[in-house]
Order: sequence, then structure tokens, then C-alpha cells
Amino acid sequence: MRLVVDFTRCRGHGICTVLFAERAELDEWGFPVIDPADLDSAPLVRRARRAVVACPRGALSVETSEPR
Amino acid sequence: MTTSVVVDRLDERRPGPGDTFGGVGHPGARLLAGRPAYDGTETLAQHLDRLGIVPPPRRGAGLVDAVHDSGLGGRGGAGFPMAEKMEAAARAPGPRLVVVNASESEPASHKDRVLVHLRPHLVLDGAALAAEALSADEIVVQLHRGDPAGYGALSAAIAERTAARLDRVPVHLSVGPDRFVAGESSAVVAFLEGRPAQPRPGPRAAVSGVHGCPTLVQNAETLAHVALIARFGPDWFRAAGTPGSPGSVLVTLAGDVERPGTVLEVWGATTIGRLLVSCSRSGHATIAEIGPVPGAAVLMGGYAGAWADMARVWELPLAHDELCRAGVPLGCGLVGVLSPDGCGLVETARLLTYLATESSGQCGPCAFGLPDLAAQATALATTRVSRSAVRRLYHRTASIAGRGACSHPDGAVRLLESALETFAGDVRYHLRHGPCAGARNGVTFPVPRSSEEWR
Repeated sequence: MRLVVDFTRCRGHGICTVLFAERAELDEWGFPVIDPADLDSAPLVRRARRAVVACPRGALSVETSEPR
Repeated sequence: MTTSVVVDRLDERRPGPGDTFGGVGHPGARLLAGRPAYDGTETLAQHLDRLGIVPPPRRGAGLVDAVHDSGLGGRGGAGFPMAEKMEAAARAPGPRLVVVNASESEPASHKDRVLVHLRPHLVLDGAALAAEALSADEIVVQLHRGDPAGYGALSAAIAERTAARLDRVPVHLSVGPDRFVAGESSAVVAFLEGRPAQPRPGPRAAVSGVHGCPTLVQNAETLAHVALIARFGPDWFRAAGTPGSPGSVLVTLAGDVERPGTVLEVWGATTIGRLLVSCSRSGHATIAEIGPVPGAAVLMGGYAGAWADMARVWELPLAHDELCRAGVPLGCGLVGVLSPDGCGLVETARLLTYLATESSGQCGPCAFGLPDLAAQATALATTRVSRSAVRRLYHRTASIAGRGACSHPDGAVRLLESALETFAGDVRYHLRHGPCAGARNGVTFPVPRSSEEWR
């Protein structure tokens, strides 16, 4: 599983980089850069899901497969 | 964007030994076979006289097998296997739609508009066959606003076919905005839903396209190949090209060539060198006949394509898979030449500035990143910048690619990265002395003025 951003929705609130700092950081324009590595533990998945729920733009999702 | 159709006038030329490419009406041509370009649009009577009606065995479900065996890849840029797309659309439930994507967005590419203008019935045949095979209810041909010649040819062709009661599935024309990313398949789907012609993330159109219906979006050239595969079979199709990239392919020549805008049909095994020998500008012809012009570069695949040293790609065949592996994808089939007198950094800066204005602005990394890259590339090309500025430029490219709803930012980044590699010598010169003499020369790859519209 991996955390993915829909950048057509993201407006750079940056909440994911606070709630999920180990895998998300901000780029120079204030948009999240997500580590594409697999979410390989239950705590990681839990924290990723928390970021998904907290995103004010609904731009995050946890995907099980590769994106298109 | 130019509205005139530029076609090659090689028709009078006789094929020589080993000649594996040709223009309209050239004996080696398939899609462009038939009457010479100056005869204009081929009528339905001429088309049927030349090729006949498609025989029943390869109509309907049999077509998917034939396309599968042919190994036909999409000719819009990504090279996605057409049979896979058809199978995905056939599996998905609901009323289906076939979209002919003739909205050629690459400013220097003309192959789709030449094809649609000269051989509209070949394209419409392919669309009708695909629609029959998928039991689709409707065919839509998507065009750019800046292509009135294509619109005229297609509306006349559709009227001829309606009068002859040739097709079971109705065909409609749709005209979208002249924007670079508006030809991307998800943008075409958005436009057909009545929304701005901007790319969007989500499931593939073949599974869930226009209003959620399975939508087969295929490039015009791809469907024209289907019309011929249905008539002559997959083995005939594979006789041209390479095992990995079967079939002939349309290319557009650009930049420092004899006639920029020339569209040629190439058998995939032809090398880039062979193609360039045939079209080099007279001043360089003697050198190009022997081998690559020292110091010249090639722009492959389009304005969001990749640069390469001419010598590096000289022996590569014009085959999608091999060019992808070499890092210079064939993309929309654009082959541009930059002579040693030109400055690749200036050209790249102008192309990047254009690509930045053509971002749909939906995704932050693209909306902010591309103008930033373009500004820095312009500074490198036109002023004397510091080493740290160049290092920053390399760093910036890493934070943009792969972070958009479509591959627009990826293309822009690839263009810049390939430029920094191909023109590494020029970068060193610019760092030491400021802009080179080539920077003051004329424009080799012109960009159109961006349209304001998305609808």
C-alpha cells in the first residue's frame, strides 16, 4: 500500500506533512512530496489513513495497486 | 498554430534500393498511399476504388484478434497496445463510445492533420470497425479549433458515408480548444462531458470515460492502421517495422531540415540517420550523407520530448520500443534537427516557457514548478549565471516529475534534463563566457501563442 496525492485537489495546506512527517515533506512551493515506498507496517498504514482523513481537500488516498 | 497542411512533395521520386520511407503517394507508403498530396482529400469513391470494403471475417469480434496479432501500438505518444485498450473497453459494462483523437497538440507535429485532411476515410473506417467490434453506440472525432482543413475534410467525408449508408454507428465531430494538454485522452474525455479540456486523474477512459461509459480514445493514425489491418491482415502489417514495434509510422520533420513540417511515412526499421540524410538542408547535405553532422542535435518526440546528440541516435531505428529504451521516445513522431549553429539552451528555454504557459494549472508542482524551471533555463541561456544556479536547476527537476495528474510536467522535465546532458558543453561555455553566438541566431523551433480558452 502507498499514500498518493491527487495534485488537482491539493492546495498545499500541508497537514499531511505534520501528521505523517516520516513519509511526507513539503517541496519549495509548499506541496507535499510523498515517499513512494510501500506502507509496510500497520502503524504506518494507520498514520497514513489519519492523514487521508485530515486532508481538508480530500486529496490523499491510500492505494493498494499501482496508479494508472 | 498553422492551419495550412504542409505535405511532402517526394511523390515524383522513384524508390531506390533499400528505400523504406516515402511521402504521400510514394510507392512505399501505406497510410499515405494513393493519390498525390496536391489532389487533396480522397473521396469515398476513390477510397473504395483503391481499397474496397472490409471483408466480414475481420469485422466485429474478429477485429480485436487481428489487432492483437498485429501488435499495433497507439500512435498518440505513449504507444499503449491498442488491443489491450479494446479488450478493457469490451469487458467494461455499459454503452460504449469510440473517440478518434485527431486533436494534434504538438505545435511542430502535423502527421494527424495531414492524415485526416488527405485520407479521412481511412481514419473513419478504422473508427467504424472499432465501434462495431465494441458494439459502441457513437463515434466522436475530436479536433483542435486550429484545424479547419481537417474539419472540412471530415465533415465532407462523414456526409459521403451517411449518403452511402456505409456505417452502422453514427459519427459526430467535436472541436476543442487549441491547447497543448487538451489533446491528452483524459482532457478529451473531460471536454466531451462539457467540462474544461483539462487532464484529470482517475480510472482509464477505456474502463470509465465520458460520463462513466467505457470510452475507446484512439489517435487518428492508430485507427487508420486498423482500417488496413482489417483489410490485409496482421502478417501484412508486421512486414513493416520491427518485431517490437510493427507497422509503418508517420513522422513529422522539424527544425533545420529542407522543409520543416514535412510528413513522411516510415517503415519502423529505418534508422534516424537514413531519414535525416533524405531531408537535410542543402548546406549540410554532403556531411549528412556520410554520417551525423558533428555538433548537431536532434529533438525527438515533440516539444515535451527529449534532446540527443545526432551521432548518438544516428543508427537507432524509428521504432517506439527501441527509442524508449534509448531515452528518446518517438512520442508523436516528431524528428527535429538543430544545426551546430543553433543554441540548444536557448531553444530549450523557449520550449520550456511555452510548456509552462500550457500547464492547465491544476497541480501545484506543475503550475509553480514549470514557470520556475523556465525562468531558470532562460537565465542560463541568455545571461551569465553562477554554478550554484545550475546546480539548483538540476535539483529542481527532481521535485517536479511524476507529480501531476497527467505527464505534462514529466515531459517538460525530461526536455530540460536531456538538454543539460546533450548540451553539457554549451552549459560550460555559458557559465564561463555568457551567451554563445548561437544564442543570437534565429528561432529553430517556433512556439505558437497560447490560447486563453479551455472550452
